[in-house]
Amino acid sequence: MGLFSSVKDKLGGGGTRSGITEAQVKEALAKVQDPDLHQDIVALGFVRNIVIKGDKVSVEVNLTTPACPVKEQLKAQCEAVLKEIPGLAQADVTMTATTRAAQRDNNAAVVPALAGVKNIIAVASGKGGVGKSTSAVNLAYALARTGSKVGLLDADVYGPSIPRMVRITQLAEEGGPNVIIPPLADGIKVISVGMFTQASDATILRGPMAGSVIKQFLTQVQWGELDYLVIDYPPGTGDIQLTISQTAPVTGAVIVTTPQEVSLIDVRKAMSMFKTLKVPVLGVIETMSYFVCDGCDKKHQIFRSGGGERLARESGVSLLGAIPIDPRVAVGGDEGRPHVAAFPDAPASQAYIAAAGAAAQQLSILNAQASGILNQFALEWKN
Amino acid sequence: MSLATDNIRVSAIEQAGPRTLAITWSDGHKDQFDVVKLRRSCPCASCIDEWTREQRLKPEDVPDTVRPLKIESVGAYALKIHFSDGHATGIYTFQMLRAFP
Repeated sequence: MGLFSSVKDKLGGGGTRSGITEAQVKEALAKVQDPDLHQDIVALGFVRNIVIKGDKVSVEVNLTTPACPVKEQLKAQCEAVLKEIPGLAQADVTMTATTRAAQRDNNAAVVPALAGVKNIIAVASGKGGVGKSTSAVNLAYALARTGSKVGLLDADVYGPSIPRMVRITQLAEEGGPNVIIPPLADGIKVISVGMFTQASDATILRGPMAGSVIKQFLTQVQWGELDYLVIDYPPGTGDIQLTISQTAPVTGAVIVTTPQEVSLIDVRKAMSMFKTLKVPVLGVIETMSYFVCDGCDKKHQIFRSGGGERLARESGVSLLGAIPIDPRVAVGGDEGRPHVAAFPDAPASQAYIAAAGAAAQQLSILNAQASGILNQFALEWKN
Repeated sequence: MSLATDNIRVSAIEQAGPRTLAITWSDGHKDQFDVVKLRRSCPCASCIDEWTREQRLKPEDVPDTVRPLKIESVGAYALKIHFSDGHATGIYTFQMLRAFP
């Protein structure tokens, strides 16, 4: 609060013609609670730029993520409480967002390339072929849709599929010694081993080399300022997964699974890996959940039902989304038009957009809880 | 909504003496470690046999004069200590440090 407005408060308001005061506006807005942070939006410091002109009031509500799933609901609540102020004719509520960053020790950015990255999301599964890369791409696009600055790192060294899925054909550029400039796909910064080799050439690398490639992606790519860096993990719980977790302060993980039990067995292993590495699991995305045919509107559960939900329940994390089968998702992947961008209103896109919102919400909660935790630190010993 | 946060993390880390490392954990608990003892308990694969878990490092081979040069975080779950004898491969997980004798 500026000096001017605090003085105004003490004098009992700005003395506008309608008699509406800033204190009244705040008092009204204090009735609106953030459902996740369990505090009112005034106490949380979300309310900004209160302007009172006669009987018209405009305010800005600054949330912790542009992908907030309850944004519209909060806006409606704000408008409703403002309208209860006597003498008020018009209330304009603008919703904005500043993504909260995971806590870091200021004097020691251990990985400078990631210093401007506010949140790192791991998209992982224990098993291949569950739609992990498809989910990573669509989550990245869903986050970018809300105005967030997003990066996408393809950590699958041996089967890089991201370049094709986002239609990037050019090779990555060098921006100087040890600086890689990531190409853009619809505004998203993307990096993949696929940008360093021809698509038909196999990447043949031994474990330590593969790890050092991923390390370079994390430490030498010019990521700049990002709200979210989505990392598409290779399947399994091996070297690369460990390298990422040791190099970057991963903020949270999204686990992808299909509804079947066999897939769940491997996913449980991935979950336990993240538990060991102390990366909080944000939630589970179940792919290939059901198929709605064009003849009837029935949900056909081809690969059994409820796997993602069961996994989420037994591990105490939330089910971020159940993504229906839509042949257009696969076509979009092959043609480099992610489903969320090509058909934003389709059920699978809506499910991804909701899942991205729920993941962003979990990150906001996590970052709010994590105050006082050092994510990265370096201590020089003195003799 | 619950998150998997049985996660004990570091809130503060500092040098508390010539050979003492002090860590304040996110649950408020405070620990002090003798850095020479940490070096003698290095958990890396060349100090501890990966299959038998037997200690290969002879603690008496580590002189009392060994000191850290630098201590840094490893991801969100451990720390790495660069020692003055050139050894830096040990990854000390928070879990291990919390249970450290």
